[in-house]
Amino acid sequence: MAGIRELRGRIKSVGNIKQITRAMEMVATTKLRRFQDRATASRPYAEEITGLMGHLAAVLGAEVERRPLFREGEGEATAVLVVGSDRGLCGAYNSNVFRALEEWREGEDGPVKFYAYGRKAFQYLNKRRYEVVHYFAEPPLEQIDYRGAARVAKYLSDGFLSGDFREVRVLYTAFESMVKYVPTWIDFLPVKGDKLTGDDEAGSTGDVILEPDPETIFDELVPRYLETRIYNALIEALTSEYASRRVSMKNATDAAGDMQSMLKGQYNRLRQETITKELLDIVGGAEALR
Amino acid sequence: MAGELTLRVITPDTIVVDETAESVRIPAADGSMGILPRHAPMVAALDTGVLTYKSGGQEHALFVSGGFAEVRGKTLRLVTQAGEKATEIDEERARAAEERARQRVEEARATGRRSEIDMLRAQAALRRALMRIRARTGR
Repeated sequence: MAGIRELRGRIKSVGNIKQITRAMEMVATTKLRRFQDRATASRPYAEEITGLMGHLAAVLGAEVERRPLFREGEGEATAVLVVGSDRGLCGAYNSNVFRALEEWREGEDGPVKFYAYGRKAFQYLNKRRYEVVHYFAEPPLEQIDYRGAARVAKYLSDGFLSGDFREVRVLYTAFESMVKYVPTWIDFLPVKGDKLTGDDEAGSTGDVILEPDPETIFDELVPRYLETRIYNALIEALTSEYASRRVSMKNATDAAGDMQSMLKGQYNRLRQETITKELLDIVGGAEALR
Repeated sequence: MAGELTLRVITPDTIVVDETAESVRIPAADGSMGILPRHAPMVAALDTGVLTYKSGGQEHALFVSGGFAEVRGKTLRLVTQAGEKATEIDEERARAAEERARQRVEEARATGRRSEIDMLRAQAALRRALMRIRARTGR
């Protein structure tokens, strides 16, 4: 049986851990809220850009399919951007992403080249000896802003345009609800033209003035569209990360609480026993002196 | 003045302006363009420049950087990467940015032809700085 002094030490250290995990839980909660707000704030912009894309695609019709970013690339390899977290202690967040990645790879014969955002994603890919073309380390994922996302989008589409890849896909974690985050694939490039025209309101195409001309607007629009897709994916991944971290820190705090009360029970029992034993000794001693 | 026009300026981070305006002047790619209520449906590419609009008898100015303008129904929507109200622009910072950009243009010019991209970037930065100052000071 553990000594009384030892038990006291353990109660204390479990209490310390509990304090830390609770603090981490609270930090995760505020950050989660911040990223949720940013996701909401960026939605009107993304919707407007997507709407314009659909609109212009409808105006241009079949011409769209001939644009470089809409045709399958000349390369052989598939490029994949994997979005993970920079830090651990976020439950199964990263391993879910990696599992989705491995599942996809099993059905994929061609060569695959990787891009990574988030240190954990990079480390995983490296450990597996996958070919990582670029690791986006700056800015850290947590400080991503629209411009940072735009740079990533540019980087990926430049790679695609230079003929290195057949297609570019993005693997990130979609935030479905506070307790549900699903690793999700985006077919990033080539852009699927037929999917765009679907959500344009019928009849609004005919008599719209386009300045300077549809092609110019469209070619300006496509990069913006790609940027918003990356930005959305990154923000959503961050939201999922913090939701996941919050849950796992809450579980850790609860577990520490349970352990603490169990240890306290043991400690009290032991203390009681010791006191009883000592009392018996004293009484016995006094008895003997009589 | 018949009818009214809702002006909405949308950036990735926020909606900068959402109010009714009597007239709007936008920096379109082909040059400045005036938009009044009951304008025909339109989509236009934007340049980096100054957007001005009249609302409640007052003139307002805004710095916008690229993007698009769309007229649909009674709404003029601007989607742009940067939209800053003139009153919120830090003139000193803009002037410092202008200075930096000028230096970069000089450097790019000195290094010659190989730095064409640097040159373009520097010029774009200079333009942004100048337009910010113009939005702020009205000239």
